[in-house]
Amino acid sequence: MNRQPIGESELFHWAPPLAPEVVSRDFCFTTEPLITGWNRALERPLAIEATTIPFSSAAPRAIQIPIRRASIRVRSFEFPEPIETPRTEQPAIAASPGQGQAAGVSLKLGTTRIRPPQDVIKLGDRLQYLLQPPLETLLSDRELAMPFQPFPFQFEGVAFLYPRHAAILADEMGLGKTMQAITTIRLLLRRGEIRSALMVCPKPLVTNWQREFHLWAPEVPTLVIEGEQARRAWQWRLPDVPLRIANYEVLIRDREILACGEGDRPIPFDLVVLDESQRIKNRGSTTSEVVRGLSRRRSWALTGTPVENSAEDLVGIFEFLAPGFLSPEMKPRKMGRTICDYVLRRTKEQVLTELPPKMFRDADLELTPEQRETYRLAEEEGIFRLTAMGEGATIQHVFELVLRLKQICNFDTATGASSKLERLEADLEEVAGSGRKAIVFSQWVSTIKRLSKALRRFGPLEYHGQIPSSHRDGVIRQFREERSAHVILMSYGAGAVGLNLQFANYVFLFDRWWNPAVEDQAINRAHRIGTSGPTTVTRFLSLDTIEERIDHVLQEKRELFDTIFSGAKGPGKLGLTHNELFGLFALPGRGVGKRAA
Amino acid sequence: MESGKNTSKPAIGFLTVIDHPQHGLFGGYLVLNLAGRPLEFHCTAPIKPNRAQHILYGPTLESFLYGEQIGSTLLGHAKTSPLVVCTDREPVLSLRDLVDLPVALVLPPGESLPNETCQAGKPDLPGAGKPDVPGVLRVDPPHGRGPRLITFELGRNRLALSQQKSDDRKRFSERLGEAASALDLWEPFTRIREAIEEAQQAAR
Repeated sequence: MNRQPIGESELFHWAPPLAPEVVSRDFCFTTEPLITGWNRALERPLAIEATTIPFSSAAPRAIQIPIRRASIRVRSFEFPEPIETPRTEQPAIAASPGQGQAAGVSLKLGTTRIRPPQDVIKLGDRLQYLLQPPLETLLSDRELAMPFQPFPFQFEGVAFLYPRHAAILADEMGLGKTMQAITTIRLLLRRGEIRSALMVCPKPLVTNWQREFHLWAPEVPTLVIEGEQARRAWQWRLPDVPLRIANYEVLIRDREILACGEGDRPIPFDLVVLDESQRIKNRGSTTSEVVRGLSRRRSWALTGTPVENSAEDLVGIFEFLAPGFLSPEMKPRKMGRTICDYVLRRTKEQVLTELPPKMFRDADLELTPEQRETYRLAEEEGIFRLTAMGEGATIQHVFELVLRLKQICNFDTATGASSKLERLEADLEEVAGSGRKAIVFSQWVSTIKRLSKALRRFGPLEYHGQIPSSHRDGVIRQFREERSAHVILMSYGAGAVGLNLQFANYVFLFDRWWNPAVEDQAINRAHRIGTSGPTTVTRFLSLDTIEERIDHVLQEKRELFDTIFSGAKGPGKLGLTHNELFGLFALPGRGVGKRAA
Repeated sequence: MESGKNTSKPAIGFLTVIDHPQHGLFGGYLVLNLAGRPLEFHCTAPIKPNRAQHILYGPTLESFLYGEQIGSTLLGHAKTSPLVVCTDREPVLSLRDLVDLPVALVLPPGESLPNETCQAGKPDLPGAGKPDVPGVLRVDPPHGRGPRLITFELGRNRLALSQQKSDDRKRFSERLGEAASALDLWEPFTRIREAIEEAQQAAR
């Protein structure tokens, strides 16, 4: 492109390029074949090597995995149709307790189960117990109304007694052994497992049992064996009596009737219950012999003190429950293991954590000068006499001296002076001043009568062996209801068992009993279910006297009890031996090892 | 299966299976009358599924063992035909396919099933739908493939049924009648467990 100036403007002019110049050349090459010898090689066929792999497969194999329907072994148990049936098909499979009850309290939910005792061997029998509904359900039947809601431990007590043919309910006083026994008897009667039961108790407690049965089992007809012999014989032979109540003395008097009352055969009972069963601790006693002779299928014993003096007490009770099961030679610890399935023992501390406390005060008192002088003379004279008797001195002689000295510790025989009375009066002033009530225990009626005169301003009432049985309930009622009656004076023998005096907050042990179990029973008249406040127990002890020495022996007895019933270590000495009794006066012993109390 | 059995006594059957870590499965079947008293008790020797059963039955093994093997065997030994059968083990519900009796799972009092949250009507739950009956819950089985359950209340008891057998709910109410209001259908399983333990101890 040329750029030419044209005047004032420029014009662009396009011209075709010049034609190229062509030049020709002749390329003429000569070719000649080259001999390589390859063509022949290419003409040869390829050599292929073949390998034969045999592929011979068998028919596929099936593996059979057997799935066997294994036959399952089954154990089957059938149980007899229960006798009682719920009303109008009222269901009771753990129904809400109390749901069906026509009257009484509605029982709280609970699942106390009846478990078979160890001596039930057959599996079917064991399962029959295990498969029963909870106790609360059984008791929720509308026909088994209960006046009060029992404590859980009381349900446990019923569950313990129910399956047992031999059992001791040894709960501490005041925990409701009566209610537990009655409720169990009621259930057994209702379910047709028993048809005739005999309750044996001390005479003063007959009316108490009658009353308690009326309260806890109002539908159970009770028959108290009493009156002339002909009447009693008729009562014993009456058919279809679900429950008889008899005292021990009646049992002894009617032993012939009981032994051959049905033709020549003994009168049979499905269940015999001994209340305060320590009454048969002596195997050689008539009472023990008579109760062991009763024809029965089940045997229960109720006692708060299965061991009062020695382990032999328990052997005595077991002679009634299961003869030969225990022997006196057994060590206490082994005995404890042996009986554990037969005995149920609970203390208030274990089960009644909400019960007001029981407070002990040991009043250690010096004798008055008059008492001291009389005591010294009596002891010197007594020891002199015993020493002079030499080998002729018997345990009876020692006992007489002990009792005489103990009486002097209560009152000076000559002047009537008493440091214990002085202290008691002072304490009762406070008791009466606060509007409360007290129980005073002594082992002597003579002491009670003296106290009654001296304590007149406190409105004393007497309850001992000289008070007729027919008056005793009235005395208790008067003590409970009369505001001016601040003190009741009781003998250990008459007042230690079976009474409910929980409205009294003070207990005085004016003198000490021979064994702690009886003292515990006495104390527990007041310290029991229903008590309104703490129970204060005052134990009088005259210093430097026979009382102090006996107290040491009582401590040892407590150790024995603990060894048997709580597995505590180290058995204590087994009670008061002849040697120990003679030892109270530093006299050489007779009859080594024999127990005296 | 239930023909020829005593049907005169109104009774309820309680069936459970205990899975013992060492011995295997123990089945127990208790027949109670309406007063709660035992009429019959049957229990099995322990059984253990073998490896093949584990593999081949897979997630249906429990239902097979609890319902078909143990449950069916135990009911076969009983002489009394109950009005209904209760269980506290869900796999036992498969027994229902084998017997002409209403079978229900009794739920523990005061507790809810972990899978009870799978209520009908929740849109985020697969398969959830509206309850057939107001107040009735549907519960998924543990592995999600078994039959669905419906729960309902009978007296103070909470029961569950296979949804396929939802008619059994009516049967439960009809057969137990007014008794249902007072029954505690959970309690008897405690008895069975103790009885199985007792029988096991006796066998040693």
